[in-house]
Amino acid sequence: MSGLPILDISGLCKSYGAVRAVDGVDLHVDRGEICGLIGPNGSGKSTFFDCVTGLARPSAGAVKLDGQDITGWSLSDIARQGRMLRSFQKTVVFSALDIEENLVIAGQMFTFPGIWSTFGIGAAARNRVAALRERARELIKIAGLWDVRFQAAGKLSGGQQKLIQFASMLMPEPKLILLDEPMAGINPKLIERVVESIRLANASFGVSFLIIEHNIDVVTSLCRRVVVLDQGRKLAEGTPGEIVQNQAVREAYLGG
Amino acid sequence: MTPAESPVAKTGADLRIPFGLALAGLACMAPLFLGNYPLHAIIIALIFLLPAHGLNLLLGYTGLLSLAQAAFFGIGAYASALLAVHFGTPFYLNFLAAGLVAGAIALPLGIPALRLRSTSFVMCTLGFVIIGQAIAKNWIGLTRGDMGLAAIPKPYFALGPASFTVSGTVGFYYLVLAIAALATLAVYLIVRSPAGRNMIAIRENETLAESVGIPTWHYKLIVFMISAVFAGLGGSLYAHYLTVVSPLTFQMYYSTTMLIIVLGGGAGTISGVIFGSLLFVGLTEALRVAPELRMIAYGFFLLGLVFWFPNGFAPLIGRFWSFLERRK
Repeated sequence: MSGLPILDISGLCKSYGAVRAVDGVDLHVDRGEICGLIGPNGSGKSTFFDCVTGLARPSAGAVKLDGQDITGWSLSDIARQGRMLRSFQKTVVFSALDIEENLVIAGQMFTFPGIWSTFGIGAAARNRVAALRERARELIKIAGLWDVRFQAAGKLSGGQQKLIQFASMLMPEPKLILLDEPMAGINPKLIERVVESIRLANASFGVSFLIIEHNIDVVTSLCRRVVVLDQGRKLAEGTPGEIVQNQAVREAYLGG
Repeated sequence: MTPAESPVAKTGADLRIPFGLALAGLACMAPLFLGNYPLHAIIIALIFLLPAHGLNLLLGYTGLLSLAQAAFFGIGAYASALLAVHFGTPFYLNFLAAGLVAGAIALPLGIPALRLRSTSFVMCTLGFVIIGQAIAKNWIGLTRGDMGLAAIPKPYFALGPASFTVSGTVGFYYLVLAIAALATLAVYLIVRSPAGRNMIAIRENETLAESVGIPTWHYKLIVFMISAVFAGLGGSLYAHYLTVVSPLTFQMYYSTTMLIIVLGGGAGTISGVIFGSLLFVGLTEALRVAPELRMIAYGFFLLGLVFWFPNGFAPLIGRFWSFLERRK
């Protein structure tokens, strides 16, 4: 089993009318790997993420997570398994709630056995929530957000919201996290912190990553393997060193 | 946005208990110092509190605007009235049946309606009220059409050989007060449960909620049904209190009244909705003594509310708590 890639995608297509946003992409993420996904704007990276995580239905192709075919499942069904979670390009948090509540919500569906059990008010439900709170506090400390934990998440800076989102995704102890531009719009100091968080989650919790990112330095330092998309197709694949030298990639994306 | 979750509300919790007890004591003693007419106004307000609680779960906590509450209110009223008139069943059976029937009808209505996007969903729920009224008017064999159902018995309880009838304003006041208190407790428990947290997550951002594994559609359907149960229970009380039901029970005016209670009181807060129903329903009942001015005064009042308290009165209540907190 352990030889199998955690995520295995073959021939993924997504068409909107005549437009082929994603056109027959094969991609896999190995266990414990941090894999980069780069490409110019409009190359189909986010659509690719949407199809893999169930926010959009792929027109063709197959998505296998941990050996299980999850093609065409809904976002919440895939997420509820707690194996693969995703972030969004535009950072989103539950704005009116504080950080701890954000994290508890992010963990609830993985702790409670079903919808009806979440209406429970007895000791069993309370203990489950208490355990979630415990884990949430640990992750808040690791993320360096302890001092602001009672503030409404929507009032915090974009970078802090990224960290909340990241900590939320670690609540259910997932095997794979898909990050959509985790470094967009945050200052260099916070970029370091997010990079460190990703490394820590990868090394200590064994989480694999697939990361869409435009910051090529971040990609180079984090990923051992990078896939380049252009106009919905896979343009190249290789180590960051190979990708930077690749003539086709330089022309399409990196700019000469 | 929601004072219930703010740190201010958290620290004020210890003061809420004595205040709540004082208010409860006051409510229990109200018949000693209030005349029959004010008591009647409070009874109507407490009856409307039930559908308003339901709407608050839907709108205030889950973020779904529904105008269907009047439809379920009417369904509950008719279910209760039909049982009482045709079968002479005791009140508590009619009451529970009204809630169950309303909740059961909400299931097939909710399944297609909740597939719709926000505005379409609102229009669809508005349709339910209109259809409900049309059925009540035209299914004459069952509902007697515009003549309505009259002589619905006052609530009576039969436990073995003993039975007693709740008659008179004071008796009904205590019955409605007890039911309203239980309903409020039920809402509190739902909101405080992990499911309540998921509901708030759906209100805040549905896609994000899905991405953390919350089956949002199922929750919306369940909450839609719960809100219908609350409305149905309210309708039952209404039927037994007024002893008549007519197609007018299904009117848009009731849906908007419930909406005003929730928005004016403070969506997403329990105390705001209690305050709202006493203020908006109690007040309009009280204003009936000046019928010509009533709707005009009400209209100006609502305009003032929108301009000065866009989030309803709940933030005001929250500020009151923190004021007391600082004085302590």
